[in-house]
Amino acid sequence: MHAPVSPHELLLVLRIGALALLYLFAPITLGAETLPEGPFSNDECTTCHSQHNPQIVQQWQNGPHGPPSKTTCPVCHGNTHGDAAATARVNKSCIHCHTGATSHSYATSKHGVIVRLENSQQDWGKPLQAGQYRAPSCSYCHLHNNDHGDSMKSSGDTPVHQGICMGCHSPRYVRELFASGQRQLDIAKLKRLEGLNLITNAPAASEKKLKVHRDRLNIHLQNILLGIGHQSPDYQWWHGQPALDGDLIGIKELIGHAKRQKALRQNK
Amino acid sequence: MRYPLIPVLIALLVIPAGFAYVQWIKDGSGSGLYSRHWTPDAIQGYWDPDNFYQPTQAVQGRFKGTECIQCHQGITPGIVMDWRASRHGQSDSPITCDACHGTDHQQLQLPTPKVCANCHKKQHDEFTDEARFGFPSHVLAMDRAINAKHFVDKPKAEVQSCVQCHSVATKCDSCHTRHRFNPAEARRPEACITCHTGPPHPDDKTYFASAHGKQYLADGDTWDWSKPLTKGNYPAPTCAYCHMDGGRHQVAHKSIWKFGLREINPNTAKHQALRQGWINLCSDCHEKAQAKLWLSELDQERKRAWKKLYTAEGILKDLRADQLLFPAAGNRPPYPMDWLDELWPKERIGFFEGQASAFYNVSAIERDYFEMWYFDNLGAYKAAAHGDTEGVTDGHRKMDQSLERIGKQAARSRALSEAEQKHAIKPNTKTKLWNSGPYTDFNREQN
Repeated sequence: MHAPVSPHELLLVLRIGALALLYLFAPITLGAETLPEGPFSNDECTTCHSQHNPQIVQQWQNGPHGPPSKTTCPVCHGNTHGDAAATARVNKSCIHCHTGATSHSYATSKHGVIVRLENSQQDWGKPLQAGQYRAPSCSYCHLHNNDHGDSMKSSGDTPVHQGICMGCHSPRYVRELFASGQRQLDIAKLKRLEGLNLITNAPAASEKKLKVHRDRLNIHLQNILLGIGHQSPDYQWWHGQPALDGDLIGIKELIGHAKRQKALRQNK
Repeated sequence: MRYPLIPVLIALLVIPAGFAYVQWIKDGSGSGLYSRHWTPDAIQGYWDPDNFYQPTQAVQGRFKGTECIQCHQGITPGIVMDWRASRHGQSDSPITCDACHGTDHQQLQLPTPKVCANCHKKQHDEFTDEARFGFPSHVLAMDRAINAKHFVDKPKAEVQSCVQCHSVATKCDSCHTRHRFNPAEARRPEACITCHTGPPHPDDKTYFASAHGKQYLADGDTWDWSKPLTKGNYPAPTCAYCHMDGGRHQVAHKSIWKFGLREINPNTAKHQALRQGWINLCSDCHEKAQAKLWLSELDQERKRAWKKLYTAEGILKDLRADQLLFPAAGNRPPYPMDWLDELWPKERIGFFEGQASAFYNVSAIERDYFEMWYFDNLGAYKAAAHGDTEGVTDGHRKMDQSLERIGKQAARSRALSEAEQKHAIKPNTKTKLWNSGPYTDFNREQN
């Protein structure tokens, strides 16, 4: 015959059970309690996240969106917790600032088109990783895998950039596309160099007009870089290569005409 | 009796010789009419797989569809996810990777329209049949690119973006993006804008600025894009609704104004029949009389545009006749396709002389005319055709400005030349300025 359970023992069992329950559900209940809705100031965001995930705060501080740029957490994420991650991941949060050729070259690319058309079906709560998105958004490539710097920064490692594309494209295609893009960019740089050399050594032509040409050379080279990076044929071509050809013709005409006029003046 | 035989004999000799020559000329390292003058960039195989794709030797073995998916789920999860959501993947008997790419990993193919035709015969037949309507068209787009003077002339890495768009002739995924291949996606205007954008063909800008486009931008996301492109299915027309009505995989069959590239006579019997086709299409929503009026407004716009263009062409041809284009054709750096010019130097002015390539290695005034013809004029045409009234005004204002600039520049050239003659000065024609420099030298040596 078993001895009856004493009230003392029963209390002990209950206490252990309660502790076990608390232990099991603590992460959920405590998590909910420590995730207040906000609104928060940027300082509040960085103070808390410096403890929870210091890496992203560091990446943000050292990256292009760091404090000097005044792009604080709430600029992209909003100032409440809610859908903070999804809010920042959509293209809209980037093109708010990145207007002009930067966003237009992407918006007309196949990637940009697909993201635009599938925007409503896409679950933007998903992490920015391979297999989670039908086509890359701005954030998918530039803030890949939660990188709060710029995972596509030009000083970064090419294999790292290529790895992001390889979530969908075959390794060889990506490598060859990058190599071909580099060759194209090198050619564009030769065009700019040809133009800049002429401008530097221009003997007798209008300073003001030459400055316009210098600015155009830089804009058109930048367009080609954007066209290659965002895979926009239009920016590689019509806003890029033939535009540079036109710049060279314009510079040569300006200098050539000035030289002929000078020769005429000297002869008179 | 002997004389009539002579032409026959000549024909018997010349015709086979001609065939042999064409065979020979197409047999170079490139493709098309000038294949012997160029070698493709390594990436071109992905844009024109039939001609240039070489399968990778990295992986050995033959694989079934399920095995491809097993491996690629880890390597390229994006496309596997995409395929799973596609009709190919959702089907009861799925169309797996091997159906289009083959099974031998060292002999993999990039699917061309011919591969898609194994199942989608009707669409492919329509697509290839478009060739009989001539340029501009989708099915002839690759030929158009590679047979252009500037494509052959320029370093091949520089012109890769050309074949990205012109690959609409060599791959179906320009419109039906891989690996979803969704017809609903191809029906939407955005499917066209990766190529139909930019200065020579602002189809995106002009359509989105039109009443049709504005309606699409406001409500398009709520329309049912699974419906076919026929009357009553869409509140406003899209690119495909008008240009590929009924889902016919052609665009050139309706072309009257030929992209605005050259002048056409709108009153020929053929063009009148085509016009009737457009009026019928517009009458899906509008009164026929109204549609007729709009089309005649387009005729008027074209007439005005060509008047301006011919004035500019006239100015240039006069300069050419007086040898006042500087530098002249014979004094420019030689490009591969200039071999004829070495014998008979001639500046290309106007559509039929090859104005389309007159954007590099030309005098400034020729480049100005190129921009007037290719940017200002085509922009105005697209705006007029798509119902973007502000775009028409803008295009014509730009054409007026270009014409004025060309006129002034011509006068300046003449004045300078007359002054030089008066003082017996001969301008240095083959100058270093035009014939050397980092890019000019690279192009001459590397291409």
